[in-house]
Amino acid sequence: MFKFVKQYAESIDGVNIYPMISLVIFFLFFVALLYYVKKMDKAKVKEISRIPLDDNEQLTDTLIQNN
Amino acid sequence: MQALEKFQYDNKIVRNFAFATIIWGVVGMLVGLWIALLMVFPQWNIGGIGVGKETIGLTFGRLRPLHTNAVIFAFVGNGIFMGYYYSLQRLLKTRMASDMLSKIHFWGWQLIIVAAALTLPLGMTTGKEYAELEWPIDIAITIIWVVFGWNMFATILKRRERHLYVAIWFYIATFVTVAVLHLVNSFEFPVSFLQSYSWYAGVQDALVQWWYGHNAVAFFLTTPYLGLMYYYMPKAANRPVFSYKLSIIHFWSLIFLYIWAGPHHLLYTSLPNWAQSLGIVFSFTLIFPSWGGMINGLLTLRGAWDKVREDVILKFMVVAVTAYGMATFEGPMLSLKTVNAISHFTDWTIAHVHVGGLGWNGMLTFGILYWLIPRIFKTELFSKRLANFHFWIATLGIIFYAVPMYWAGFQQASMWKQFTDAGQLKYQFIETVTYMKPFYAIRSFGGFLFLVGAIVMMYNLFMTAKKGKLIANEDAEAPALQKLFSQHAGEHWHRKIERRPIPFLIATLIVILIGGIIELVPTFLIKSNVPTISSVKPYTPLELQGRDIYRREGCYTCHSQMVRPFRSETERYGEYSKAGEFVYDHPFQWGSKRTGPDLAREGTLNLKKTDSWHFNHMDDPQAVSPGSIMPAYSFMLDKELDTASTPAKIKAMRTMGVPYDEGYEYMANKDLANQAAKIQSNLLKDSIRVKPNAEILAIIAYLQRLGTDTEKIK
Repeated sequence: MFKFVKQYAESIDGVNIYPMISLVIFFLFFVALLYYVKKMDKAKVKEISRIPLDDNEQLTDTLIQNN
Repeated sequence: MQALEKFQYDNKIVRNFAFATIIWGVVGMLVGLWIALLMVFPQWNIGGIGVGKETIGLTFGRLRPLHTNAVIFAFVGNGIFMGYYYSLQRLLKTRMASDMLSKIHFWGWQLIIVAAALTLPLGMTTGKEYAELEWPIDIAITIIWVVFGWNMFATILKRRERHLYVAIWFYIATFVTVAVLHLVNSFEFPVSFLQSYSWYAGVQDALVQWWYGHNAVAFFLTTPYLGLMYYYMPKAANRPVFSYKLSIIHFWSLIFLYIWAGPHHLLYTSLPNWAQSLGIVFSFTLIFPSWGGMINGLLTLRGAWDKVREDVILKFMVVAVTAYGMATFEGPMLSLKTVNAISHFTDWTIAHVHVGGLGWNGMLTFGILYWLIPRIFKTELFSKRLANFHFWIATLGIIFYAVPMYWAGFQQASMWKQFTDAGQLKYQFIETVTYMKPFYAIRSFGGFLFLVGAIVMMYNLFMTAKKGKLIANEDAEAPALQKLFSQHAGEHWHRKIERRPIPFLIATLIVILIGGIIELVPTFLIKSNVPTISSVKPYTPLELQGRDIYRREGCYTCHSQMVRPFRSETERYGEYSKAGEFVYDHPFQWGSKRTGPDLAREGTLNLKKTDSWHFNHMDDPQAVSPGSIMPAYSFMLDKELDTASTPAKIKAMRTMGVPYDEGYEYMANKDLANQAAKIQSNLLKDSIRVKPNAEILAIIAYLQRLGTDTEKIK
């Protein structure tokens, strides 16, 4: 993939470094993200993912279901 | 246990945006159906209804931008805000920071839509797809967008829930990126109250426009709706999202990659190759985060599939997420050069965007509406049967829309490219047009079904609202946010960002700017990107006026001006287009669809027609070119050209770097009259009498100019 980008980027002086840098940045960023996500505290994740369900709507929901 | 604080959610703003979504949705789809019918019945185009100096045109070229703006910014836009105002308050356990700002946001947005609905049929357009609105409206959009963002951040700052749930990240990314896109793409030079020229020209304008255009899809039609998916899917299924960890990866990789993908709209054009390649690589990679999101959405229903059979809301959502998956698989494929060579400029693209638009945005909006309206009106849905009917007719509508368009697009491309054994093009362009007609008719039927569904929904939801009573201020309670937050040991930086909206905003901004800057800046700074061609000269005043008429009528919605380097195109249209040919084109008019033939070299070689051919063709296209579906522009034969604007236009062009001599603006109208007189006398030779200042002379001058600059080289 790197070669593929480089081939076209070469036609302009110095421009080939930009896509390389950005791909490297993205790669590092992505690896860091994966590492972080893997390390996340499971209980906390579970708690966070329930935020949308945790509100005062039970009342309305029961009302709708009973109808 | 901390004491609970009592507060109220604002449901009125949710209701207002919901009703606006429904009403504008029906209007936008109706315009869509109408323009689809115009392609089957071209005689239904009505152009040139005089309104003072301006004209109202109910022609395809003027109504198509109205359709796209209405469905994107009015239907989906209001849909975003509806879902956002409801979920944001609940996810943060607080009322919106300012009811006044919410109100200004609502009414401001509706006024912008009304302004668009008035100016677009009047032909007031910048000529850039999905960014057609003129400069005063652009400024209004900026102000209202800031109001929306201000209110959002003020609300986040007074929240009672420490953690920002993933839906809110998508809302923040939407706010930041749309702001950047709108500002960069709207650089325009006003020449009058409702007309302006894009500050960029040619290749640069194209690159900025499609960087904007693609990211409008990404950050207006996708990221906010993913935010809504992450809230409403768990709500409707009553279970948490499948993997919250996956949603974190989904979010960051999606916004990082999306911003680069724009150039895939410009493959094989005069855009520098390195920029095209960047676009391809990132577009292809996009499939991974997109599918990660789709899988996350669908797997949220794990163990609840029995509910999908029962619950119409979940049905809508499943089709929406499936359509998202199909469109985001197809997108990366279409950005491969080999596939793009076939799909580009054909109706395949139209099928692709409607799978996304009708399927993903449409069906998700419907699902959310059916979920929301009964809740804020504290009642039951008026009719489940009607909702089920809506689901089935909408799904059928999508199929009837997409299948014929895929088929037609594929056929169209193959007919354009076929040669006979003797090495000549097998089909005249007009044959490919007449071939398409039955497919356009079936497509209209699909659109009709979808619209019927939306109207049934409108009835159903309004009856629901009538039956219940709006809980304008819904009581809620939650403990206050503790000021002193104890950070647990070994906590990661990302968790900190997730709690802090402003650093989060900055992180998002950096991520999207990396792609934008690397892609755009070299094209602007490096001169060698746009090799100059010495024979390319600025337009004459009459041609410039003609070009503005071309833009006003939205000719670019059906005609491209970009010959790609394929034998099938160079045989049909002449030498392929070079970047240097467009340096004076403010705005660029390459187009994205070839319903009619390419016009880049309309004034050259075997494509050149006589002035009287153009005159008759504008008057009655079907008489000159049997089977044509072009609207008639007979009003141009009489309508007077507005020459008073010439000096301002020349001056504006010079300010932007077009080499007109200092003071030329005062002589321009003399040159204009001379050139018009020449065309007038040419017409007279064929016994056609026309006023010396009729608009038709300007449009003929422009069409005859197309491609002639580079012809001189040979």
